[in-house]
Amino acid sequence: MIQTPILKPGPRQDGPHPDHAAAGRPQPSAPVVRIENLVKRYGAYVALHEIGFELKSGEVVAIIGPSGSGKSTLLRCVNQLEQPDGGCITVAGQRFEGGKEHSRAALDTLRRTVGMVFQSFNLFPHMTILRNVSIAQERVAGRSRKDAEDRAMHLLARVGLADKAGQYPARCSGGQQQRIAIARALALDPQIMLFDEPTSALDPELGLEVLAVMRELAESGMTMIVVTHEMRFAENVSDRVVVMADGRVIEEGPSRELMRDPKTERTQRFLHAVRDR
Amino acid sequence: MSEILEFWGEWLPTLLDGLLVSLKVTAASLALGIPLGLVLALAVKAKSAPLRIAALIAVEIGRGTPALVLLQFTYFGLASTGLTLSSYAAAVAALAACTGAYTSEIIRAGLEAVPQGQSEAAIAIGFSRMDQLRYVVLPQGLRIAVPPLLGFSILIFQSTSLCYAIALPELMSQAYSVGSNTFRYMPILILAGLLFAAICIPATLLVSRLEHRLDRHTR
Ligand SMILES: Nc1ncnc2c1ncn2[C@@H]1O[C@H](COP(=O)(O)OP(=O)(O)O)[C@@H](O)[C@H]1O
Ligand SMILES: [Mg+2]
Repeated sequence: MIQTPILKPGPRQDGPHPDHAAAGRPQPSAPVVRIENLVKRYGAYVALHEIGFELKSGEVVAIIGPSGSGKSTLLRCVNQLEQPDGGCITVAGQRFEGGKEHSRAALDTLRRTVGMVFQSFNLFPHMTILRNVSIAQERVAGRSRKDAEDRAMHLLARVGLADKAGQYPARCSGGQQQRIAIARALALDPQIMLFDEPTSALDPELGLEVLAVMRELAESGMTMIVVTHEMRFAENVSDRVVVMADGRVIEEGPSRELMRDPKTERTQRFLHAVRDR
Repeated sequence: MSEILEFWGEWLPTLLDGLLVSLKVTAASLALGIPLGLVLALAVKAKSAPLRIAALIAVEIGRGTPALVLLQFTYFGLASTGLTLSSYAAAVAALAACTGAYTSEIIRAGLEAVPQGQSEAAIAIGFSRMDQLRYVVLPQGLRIAVPPLLGFSILIFQSTSLCYAIALPELMSQAYSVGSNTFRYMPILILAGLLFAAICIPATLLVSRLEHRLDRHTR
């Protein structure tokens, strides 16, 4: 059902930027993201209760669960868009303890290691599409404008949108905007990509073109955490599924197994409800 | 009727001199006041509490004090402390302070109208706070603020007429002095009003057209 491979399959062409070598790319089997006892509160409300799971390099994990269960909050804690109140998140060997301030340098490294794609795209409307994808390379990675634009053009070609480079985001469909947002997130050569319901704001047929890009990205070996309501993506593309409810992980396991034969009654009810829609 | 036209023709150059002063004071007040407004808007949103409070107090004083009082203060008030300003400098200082206070609110509203997701996207791609502001929030927020800033600029132009109180030879003062020399207040005040309108009405139309165009361009 997901057709038109937009990314070229095969070995990844955008391996980690040389700068990352110093940070030490973890061994294939070592966890690249480790979340331990993660707690996040909003005032008295506890959004995340002692969450824990691990992600190996190259693994794709889908997070599913009812709305309000804390999926976005969890994802946003991984790149410190939200500051956790307790527990610890280790990303590519760097520990971020909850309730502590982190140095500017640690956060900079984190954000170059982790790319994020939002439900509402959040492209910069006042910049051309090319600029959307090139600007962080110049400002954050210190690449020359020419290098940044070459790389941006390469990424836009990979998501099938090289011909749009000079236009503004408002001229693009939602599916195109989300593909550009993926290119923007890839521009700093992250090791890990976070997706927060990347297709929820899209009509189904536009969602497909985004899912196709994500699928190819997964096949190219990218480590991914994907919050999604696309059950087929969770089942067919992700390696593992984590089910959340009320700020807790209620079940996790290999995706095919979990999706076909959920153990907890809560997961069964949830899967039933989304599949009926 | 032709007699009035003749009277107007005789004194128009005097009023045009005044209009020029009004426009200069407006331009200088805006050139100083709007950057001041931007600084105050950023300070009001600053992390540091003392900075925030100082900026808030400055804004409230600037907005709470009538422009006429500010003018009297910079001209007569400061003079009594030994700092003597020319009426031109006093006018610019007072109106720039007023502009800074009011436009800080306009600019702050513009910055706050930039969706949260824009800053989050900027943070997620590793932008420093400075770059977030410079490349993402300011370009969008200031664009939102342009129409109200232009609207405010028209008000500042009109309020230069208050500067008659500090003997600045702007349009209104010139009209008064012509009136008191010729005892013909009515026709000269009408001419002054027409000159104000000749600037303000086209400017207002321009602003609303610009507002439309900016609306169409974004999303
Ligand atoms: N900034 C916030 N302030 C207060 N409560 C929040 C905030 N963000 C999220 N929440 C609450 O935390 C819970 C989890 O939210 P979220 O992570 O967005 O859930 P999901 O993505 O699974 O739908 C919700 O009950 C939500 O209302
Ligand atoms: Mg969510």
